[in-house]
Amino acid sequence: MLIPRRVKHRKQHRPTRSGAAKGGTTVAFGEWGIQALEPAYVTNRQIESARIAITRHVRRGGRVWINIYPDRPLTKKPAETRMGSGKGSPEWWVANIKPGRVMFELTFPNEKVAKEALTRAIHKLPMKCRIVRREGGEA
Amino acid sequence: MSEVKLTAEPRTEFGKGAARRLRRAHKIPAVLYGHGAAPVHVSLDGHATMLALKNSNALFTLDVSGKTQLALPKDVQRDPLRGIIEHVDLLIVRKGERVSVDIPVRVVGEPIGSAVVVGELSTITLEVEATRIPASVEVNIDGADVGRQVHASEIVLPDGATLVTDPSALVVNITAGQSDTEAPAEVAEVETPEAEEA
Repeated sequence: MLIPRRVKHRKQHRPTRSGAAKGGTTVAFGEWGIQALEPAYVTNRQIESARIAITRHVRRGGRVWINIYPDRPLTKKPAETRMGSGKGSPEWWVANIKPGRVMFELTFPNEKVAKEALTRAIHKLPMKCRIVRREGGEA
Repeated sequence: MSEVKLTAEPRTEFGKGAARRLRRAHKIPAVLYGHGAAPVHVSLDGHATMLALKNSNALFTLDVSGKTQLALPKDVQRDPLRGIIEHVDLLIVRKGERVSVDIPVRVVGEPIGSAVVVGELSTITLEVEATRIPASVEVNIDGADVGRQVHASEIVLPDGATLVTDPSALVVNITAGQSDTEAPAEVAEVETPEAEEA
């Protein structure tokens, strides 16, 4: 799973959820991509799960790119503890995704298989997404 | 390359309020510049411009208050979610002038077996006459095997075109597909689960 090797600060404030993606909104490497339509925190487990869903479906003959990285820690206080006494311990690593962001990209010769693989990956993600094609690609 | 005739109306009011009013009226704010001339702010018909921009490097023949001007789209701003065109930068060109443009690379043919065609460059930059811009350049990979690499210098260019992109740049790479067990290189590199405070 994707986890930062070293971090400057172990605990951070919660990332802001507002606004749209400023960059990374087009398919840059592959032929097909998964674009987020809603803001969400995508955990490293969800990213890995989506990657496995794609690679297991396309089997051999495809290439996958992951354009997001879970570099923000989220903390959680233990159950049944009183408020106060400082911030909880880091529990998840998330990527802060804004609408419009292309998160996964795929190159695969068969369009039907590629779309099915990306649909399976979308089911592993916590927000509404759509499949997009590289700009200038054959329609 | 397709040549599209459009009527451009000069804009007198600027800013996001004026731009939004234009977009609500199904028009697209645009700016026309080049050849040392002062930039001219215009508005274009939304639907016609959208259709014209479906062809990359479409040459526009603009009618700006009775004066005809040739222009190439330099930059197109799109809303990533709605897909609408928000603004267009148009570069003034003259007939016979040579311009540097990004031409899409089209891969034709099928490689041998389960080899994967990875397009490392989706466009290459060519210097061509403004009125004779090719729609695309073709790279034939029919019968190519794993390990075959097509560099920019190997691409057959249209007549009168000069390559601007580095000739040694990798354009198409034929690789073996990754299996479901192996993780991509980007993932493998960051798998050490040590999140420590500096």
